[in-house]
Amino acid sequence: MEDMVKNEVVVEEGKLTKKDINKSFNRWYISAEVPNSYERMQGVSFCYSMIPCLKKLYNKKEDLSKALVRHLNFFNSQGTWSTPIHGMTISMEEEMANEGNVSDAAITGIKTGLMGPLAGIGDTIDWGTLKTIIYGIAVTFGSKGSVLGAIIPFAFTILTYFIGRTLWNLGYKIGKESVKSILEAGWIKELISGTSILGLFMMGALSAQYVTLSTPLSFKVAGTKIAIQTILDSIAPGILPLFVVFGIYYILKNKTQKYGIISLSIVAACILGSLIGIF
Amino acid sequence: MVFVLALVAGLWYWIGQSKLGYTFHAVICQPIVMALPFGIIAGDVTTALMIGASVEMVYLGMVAAGANIPADECLAGVISIPIALTTGIDPATAVTLAVPFGLLGVFQDQIRRTIQAVFAHKADKYAMEADVKGIERCAILYPMILGFFLRFPPVFAAIYLGSDVVQKILNVIPEWLTHGLSVTGGTLPALGFAITIFIIGKNIYLPFFILGFFAVQYLKISVMAAAIFGVCMALLITFLRREKVQG
Repeated sequence: MEDMVKNEVVVEEGKLTKKDINKSFNRWYISAEVPNSYERMQGVSFCYSMIPCLKKLYNKKEDLSKALVRHLNFFNSQGTWSTPIHGMTISMEEEMANEGNVSDAAITGIKTGLMGPLAGIGDTIDWGTLKTIIYGIAVTFGSKGSVLGAIIPFAFTILTYFIGRTLWNLGYKIGKESVKSILEAGWIKELISGTSILGLFMMGALSAQYVTLSTPLSFKVAGTKIAIQTILDSIAPGILPLFVVFGIYYILKNKTQKYGIISLSIVAACILGSLIGIF
Repeated sequence: MVFVLALVAGLWYWIGQSKLGYTFHAVICQPIVMALPFGIIAGDVTTALMIGASVEMVYLGMVAAGANIPADECLAGVISIPIALTTGIDPATAVTLAVPFGLLGVFQDQIRRTIQAVFAHKADKYAMEADVKGIERCAILYPMILGFFLRFPPVFAAIYLGSDVVQKILNVIPEWLTHGLSVTGGTLPALGFAITIFIIGKNIYLPFFILGFFAVQYLKISVMAAAIFGVCMALLITFLRREKVQG
C-alpha cells in the first residue's frame, strides 16, 4: 500500500492519495464538534471532512452535489474511535465514483450502523480511561504548583490524534467488510474489557484521592467524647466518600441521568449538612 | 491586570468552547491548563496552578457521553481562576465559585447547539448547488462567529466587573455557608467518577473500583503508581484470559 502510493507519480483522475486521506482526517479532527447541532449533530463536520476526497472523485457538479447531500445527514459518534467509518466511507465513495457499484443506501447504512458501537468504545477508552489517568497525573503536579500540571494534559491530545489518524487510514485500507469483522473480532472485546478494568481501578484510586467528606458529629459515653468519624475510620478509611460515589452511581443507574439536577442536589445537601452541623 | 485577565479569559473561552480540534479543545478547556496563562499574566504561576488543580479535581471524572456535557469546566475555570488571582481567595473557595459557573456553562452549549441547526440547513442549500466553499463556512466560520458573541461578552464582563462584587460577597457570607461550599468542593468530584463508572457500565468489574479505592486509602499510593499497577493488572487479566481460551 505504502509503495503503491509512493509510486503514483502521475495522479490519476478519481484516484485518492494518502495525502488526500490524511487531509480529510485533519479536517475531521479540527471540526468534529465545531458545527454540532441537536438536529444533525456531527453531520456538517462529516461532510466538511469528506470534501477534499469528494472534490477529487466527482467531476460532474450533480454527482458532487449528491455526495455532499449524502454526508450532511445525521451523524454522531466519538471523534477518534469512529474514524474507521470515515476511512471506509472514503473507500466506498471511491468505488462508487470509479465503478458505480456501491449504492447511496449502503454508505449511509454503514455510517449509521457503526457510529453507535464505535462511540461506546471511544467513550470508554478515550474519555473514561485515557483522559482521566492523564489529567489525574497532571493534577498531582498542579496541586504542588508545578507547571508540568498544565503541560501533561497535552499528551492526551497527541495520543488521541494519532489513534484517530491511524484508525482512519486503517478504515480506508481494509474497506467495509473488514470493519464489521473487526468489531466482532476478539481483540476489540479484549481491548474494551482491559480498559474497563483499568478505568474502574483508576476511578477507585482517584475517588480515594479527590473525594473528601467527613463528619464532626460525636456523642458522649460515660463522660468520654467519642467522634463518629473515628469509629468510621476504624472500620475502613474513606467510607463516607465511597458511600457518596456509589450513592450517585445508584441514582444515575436507577433514578435519573440529569446531571444538572444531581449536581444541584449535591450542592444543596452539602450546604444543608454544613448548616445543621453533620458535615 | 484585571482588564488583561478579563480579555484573555473571554478569548480563551471563545476559542476553547468553539471546540476546534477534537481532543485539543478538550485539553485547553481544562482549568489546570488555562491556569498557566492566567498565572503568567497575574505574575503568580504557582498559585494559579494550585487553584487550577483544585478546580480540575471537581471535573476529573466527567465524561460527555453522546456530547451531553454534564458541566462546563471551561467556564468554571475561566471565571474562577482569574477572580481568585485578583481577589486573593484560596483554592478551596475558588472551587465553590467555579461550581455554579460550571453548571451555567451547560446552557451556553445548549443554546449553541440549538442555533447551529440553522447552519446545517444553510449547508443543505449549498450542497444542492455543489457549493463546497459554502459548506466549509458552515462548518467553521459561522459557528466561530456565533460563538464569539455567545461566549466572549459574558466572561469578559463577569471578570472585569465581578472581582469587586465577589470580594464584597465573600466578606459578608456566614461561616456555615463557606464551610458548606468547601464540603461541596470535596464531594462534587464523586459525580464525575460515578458518571465514568456508569459509562464504562461493566458491573462485574466493580471490585476493581473497590481495589483502586482502598489501594490509595490503605497503602497511600500516588495516582502515577495506581496507573502503573492498573495497567499491569489489566494486561495480566487480558493475557491470562487469552491463554485460557487458547488452552
